[in-house]
Formats: sequence, C-alpha cells, structure tokens
Amino acid sequence: MKKYPILEALNDALKKSNINMDKVCLVSDVFYTPEAIKPLEVDFINTHRGRSVAFGTGLKLGNPDLQVISLVGDLATLGGNHLVHAGRRNMNLIAICINNFVYPTKSGEQSPAYMFSTYSNFERPFNIPHIAKSCGAVFVARWTALHTKQLTDSLLKAMTKEGLSVIEVIAPGGHYFAGVDALENESELINFCYKNSEVKNGEDTQNLEIKTGKKIIVGEFIERKRLTFLDSYNARLSEVMGNKFVPYGGKIDRD
Amino acid sequence: MKCIKDKEERIDVYGERGRLQLKANPKDVRTGVFYIDGDVAAAEGALAAGCKFLGGYPITPSTEAAEAFAKRAPQVGAIFIQMEDELGSISSVMGASLSGRKAMTITSGPGFSLMMETIGLGAMLELPFVIINIQRGGPSTGVPTSTGQADMMQARWGSQGDYEVITLSPDSPQESFDFTVKAFNLAEKYRCPVMLMSDECVGHMTEKVIIPEASEIPIEPRRWFKGKKSDYAPYKPDKDLVPPMVKAGDGYKLYISALEHNEKGYPVSIKDLIEGKHKSSAKRLVDKIRVNADKIIELKEEGLDDAEVVVISYGITSRVAIRAIELARKAGIKVGNLRLVTVWPFPDKRIVELSKKVKGFVVPEINYGQIVFEVERCTHGNSNVILVPHGGGSVHSPDDILAAIKQVAKEKKRYNGVFEFATVLERQIFGSGAK
Repeated sequence: MKKYPILEALNDALKKSNINMDKVCLVSDVFYTPEAIKPLEVDFINTHRGRSVAFGTGLKLGNPDLQVISLVGDLATLGGNHLVHAGRRNMNLIAICINNFVYPTKSGEQSPAYMFSTYSNFERPFNIPHIAKSCGAVFVARWTALHTKQLTDSLLKAMTKEGLSVIEVIAPGGHYFAGVDALENESELINFCYKNSEVKNGEDTQNLEIKTGKKIIVGEFIERKRLTFLDSYNARLSEVMGNKFVPYGGKIDRD
Repeated sequence: MKCIKDKEERIDVYGERGRLQLKANPKDVRTGVFYIDGDVAAAEGALAAGCKFLGGYPITPSTEAAEAFAKRAPQVGAIFIQMEDELGSISSVMGASLSGRKAMTITSGPGFSLMMETIGLGAMLELPFVIINIQRGGPSTGVPTSTGQADMMQARWGSQGDYEVITLSPDSPQESFDFTVKAFNLAEKYRCPVMLMSDECVGHMTEKVIIPEASEIPIEPRRWFKGKKSDYAPYKPDKDLVPPMVKAGDGYKLYISALEHNEKGYPVSIKDLIEGKHKSSAKRLVDKIRVNADKIIELKEEGLDDAEVVVISYGITSRVAIRAIELARKAGIKVGNLRLVTVWPFPDKRIVELSKKVKGFVVPEINYGQIVFEVERCTHGNSNVILVPHGGGSVHSPDDILAAIKQVAKEKKRYNGVFEFATVLERQIFGSGAK
C-alpha cells in the first residue's frame, strides 16, 4: 500500500495534465506533513479546519488564473455550509473530501460521515455526493484510497471542468487511535472498504448512502455544465451596466 | 472635528510624508466633495486604497458600506462577494489577500465575533487585510441599530494566542474615508490585521466628505520579495521584523502553515521548541508591532501643556468630549484633550508621561469600562482615573463628562483603582447615592 495514496494520485493527475504547475494551489484544512506535500511541487496553504473551501473561494476570485484544489477533512461538518454555497455559486475549484469517518488525530470520535462504531452508529451519516449534486456541483465522484488509478482519472477530469468538482475519497485512517498496529489496522480498514465497494458509474446519488451491511458504491456520478460564479457575474453585470462595467480580473496590484 | 487645511497636511493623514512614492490609481478614486455617511465614505476609502476584493455578509449597521462597495466595484474592476456567513467572508478575504489583491471585510459585533478564529489565522499567516467594524450596542444581538464601543478589547484579544493588531477609530465620515486608506497602508506595511473600529453613529452620520485627487493619496505597496526565487523563505523577516511577501501562483512552491512554523513556513517539532532551537513565531508577531509602535501610534492632542485634567477618548465619544471640555474651560478648569486615533497599539509611554503631571484622567466610552483599565495601568497610581460609562444605544451627554471633569479637578484623595462615575440619568433614577 502506498503511504500517501490520495496525494500520490493527485500528483499523478497533475503530472499527466497539461496544467501549469506554478498556478496550482493546494489549500488544506488540516495538517499535511511537508514530506507528503513537497513531491507535488505546488503552493500549499494549511488553513483552519473546514475553511479551505471558503479560503479557496477567495484565492480563486483573487486570481482566477489559479487552479485551486481544496483538501478537506471536515467537508461535512465545519465546512458544510462553505461546500453548499460553493456549489450554489459554482466556484471553479476542486474539493477533495477525505472521508476517514473519524477524527484520527483526536481519539477517534466519530464524524457525521461515520458508519462503524463500538455500538454501531445510530446517527444517519451524510451522503456527501448527494449533497454535492443537490447544491450544484458539476462533477461528483467517490472512490476509496485503493482506487488510485480511477481517482487519478477523476482528478484529471475534474481539472478540465468549469465549476465545483467534489470528489469524496473513502480513506479510513487510524494512525493514532488504532493503537500499536496502526498501519496494519489502517490497511485492514482500507482493504475492508475496498472489498466492500462496488463500482457503479452514473448511479443515482440518492442511493449512495454508506450503511453497515451495505456495499459502498463508488464511481463517477455527476457530469454536467453550469455557468461558473465569475462567468455569471461578468455576463449579468455587462448586461445590466453596459459600457460602464469593468470586468473583474486584470493585473494584480500593479506588479 | 478635525479640518484638513491643505494638501501637505492631508498627505500626512494617510502615511509618512515623503516616504510613500506610489499614489492611488485615478480610476479607483471618486474625487470630489460629497455629502455621504461614514459607511459609504469607508467603502470609498477602501476603493481609493486599491482594495479589489470584499467578502462580506450583511449586518446592521455596516450594510451601507458593503452596499456602497458593491455598487462601485463593477465600475472599477473590483468584486464584492456575499459569502455564506462571516466565517466564509473572512476566510475568503485571507485567500484573496494571498492571491495578491488588497482585500477586506465589513461587519459589526456579532459578525466580528464569528470572525475571531480566522483573524488569528490571518495574524499567524501574516496576511495583510482590513476589517471594518461598525460597532453596535452589545452583548449578543444587543442594539443592532444603535451605537456602541464595546468591541475594543475583543479587537485586541479576540482570537486565541499571542498576536498584535492595529486599530483606527474615526469620529467623522471624513475620517472614515481617510482612516480606511490608512488602514490598508498599515496592513501592507506590517502584515497584520488592521481594523477600522468605527461605530453606528459615525457610520450613519452624513457629513461633508472631501475625496482628494488620486495624486494626493499615497499608497503603501505590498512588500514584494525582490531577491532570487531560490532564496525565498516566507517568514524570514526584514530589519523591521516584517517579512516580504510573494503571491500564490508565482512558482515559489510555498508551504504556508497555521501551525507553529519556521522561516521557511514548515511546522516545527515540539522538541525544537523545548530545546530552544526554534523561537516561537508569536514572539515576532507581537514584536513587529511593539518595536514599531511609536511609528504606528497616532494621537490628537490639544491643551495638554498646562492641563490638570485630561479627557481621553476615541471614536464618536471624542466629539462629545469636545463640548464637555469647552464647558469645563468656561468654568475655569484646565482641561486637556487626548484623542486616541490608534487605540491599539496602546500609547503607554504618553500616558505614563502625562500621569506624572496631571491630577487625573476622565475616560468616557460607550461601554462599561474597557480602555479605561489600560489608562489606569499606565498611570502607575500617579493620578486618578474616572470612567464615564455609557450603555450601548446612544452617546454620552456632555454634562456627564463635564461633571466627571469637575469631580477630578476638585478631588483631594487618591482613588483605589478606577472610579466609575454615575451618570446624571442614573442619579435621577437611583438618587445621588447610586454609586
């Protein structure tokens, strides 16, 4: 098993794409070790939990030439509202939700996307692809951390999309709370998810709920076109204001 | 109210004379004489300073400022985005700032509280940004449509951990314009959160505002890094302890972290901290403002030379104080006026100096005691300090401040701590023995 499967898939996707690597900004909400980030050779910003989509919104609007990729662990909780509205606006960025079901650097408290627990989770977990679809994302996919090839392909697709792409990656981690045999337990968990997953591209997002005793459905679910925030802004204001409208963008602070 | 007499004096308002060569872009400045309110003037100030991004969420009494910005933004190539909440607003401002734009947000009390976490992020990542806080009565929802000055301590200490901020308190729409420009200049210079701590009275007060020619508005440029790409370290400071900056997407392969970090931006281990191999970032975050405090602090002083009593005020309260001081002088009391334009960093030195030669200080503020305790700390017990408190919702009556001035002038004993003055209204309700 790879040490950083998701980042490595992202790295593969970036290297395969024709993207200008100088313009790629990776915004995370939780800590990533520099060792994992360095090989990507991109700008990396570690912000606050759940805020990376909102931070990314500002970054992308500040300089629309950037390719902003938000890595979010708290997409369904702290970042929930930011995701919903980024979708509504169709902000041109990629949100990768790393769903490990828990808060591993704490002591393993369950997250709202959780499915296993000591006495089984009695709260209904979030169906992230369904939320993403409902609020207007143009590309929605879900893979596990072992579907690296498919994940790379999805990331490549997301980079070409104009608008919000949401990719959920099931990666149950347990570095800290799983105890001494952390890595072993972790790979077991991921293997478990891998074995219990089923590829169903184009599946209705309503059926994607993760439940105990039910297979995790992975694949690419939504691909559609919508005007992005800036496109709608420019279109609407030039319609209303005519010649007086100065389109947003242009040089940054005279440099 | 301060009158700006000539060009020379005006240039001093925005920054250090002679030092700033860069001038505002004429396209951004709406030159002319206007009859506008403080909120609108602040929005014009931001645009004049080159602000191109406003991430905001509507809240009374700051909404007019966001509206004014939103109306003008598409005419000058700027953008207003109404975010989903204040957490989103301030986060987007951070992103826009890192992308190289001058960015700000506009809010009031409850929104300001929500932003606190990310203000700390901005201080830690050392991103230049401006927050306009049109204060209202609190706590909680409080008095949304009326004035207050009770966010002053929150502005300084609101987010967790050690950091320093700069705040400016305008007392008129003209100053709302001037100080907003200055706020952007200070933010770019010191890379720290800069807040315009206005209030509902100033925000909703309509007065004459002169917006000068762009050539008369000096602009502090971003501290762009000028060396070789390979030499760049995001947190390697210049001599004045402020590091130069690059923007995201320039190929520097930044690693910027809100964790305790070294000069290169990489997180440091606890071991390095304990063994003293790494000096806490917080140390420089506070030092860069403390060391430069004398350059940042701006005070308006009047009649302090032979004063027995000094009235210390800021924002709208300083305009009420002027009337009280006039009345006190007519009654034969030697009163000086010290107005804090920058409340933070606090002018410790000046107040220590004054405390040695005056009988006492009168501190009126629209709260139940915030800045008065800073004043008391600086007096070292040398002189009396009277607080003239006022609940949110309206401004002081000059009579209250006058009565406090008279009390300090005739006082023989030394108070133990801050003396809280009972206002005339309170005495009418509760009788003379209220306090």
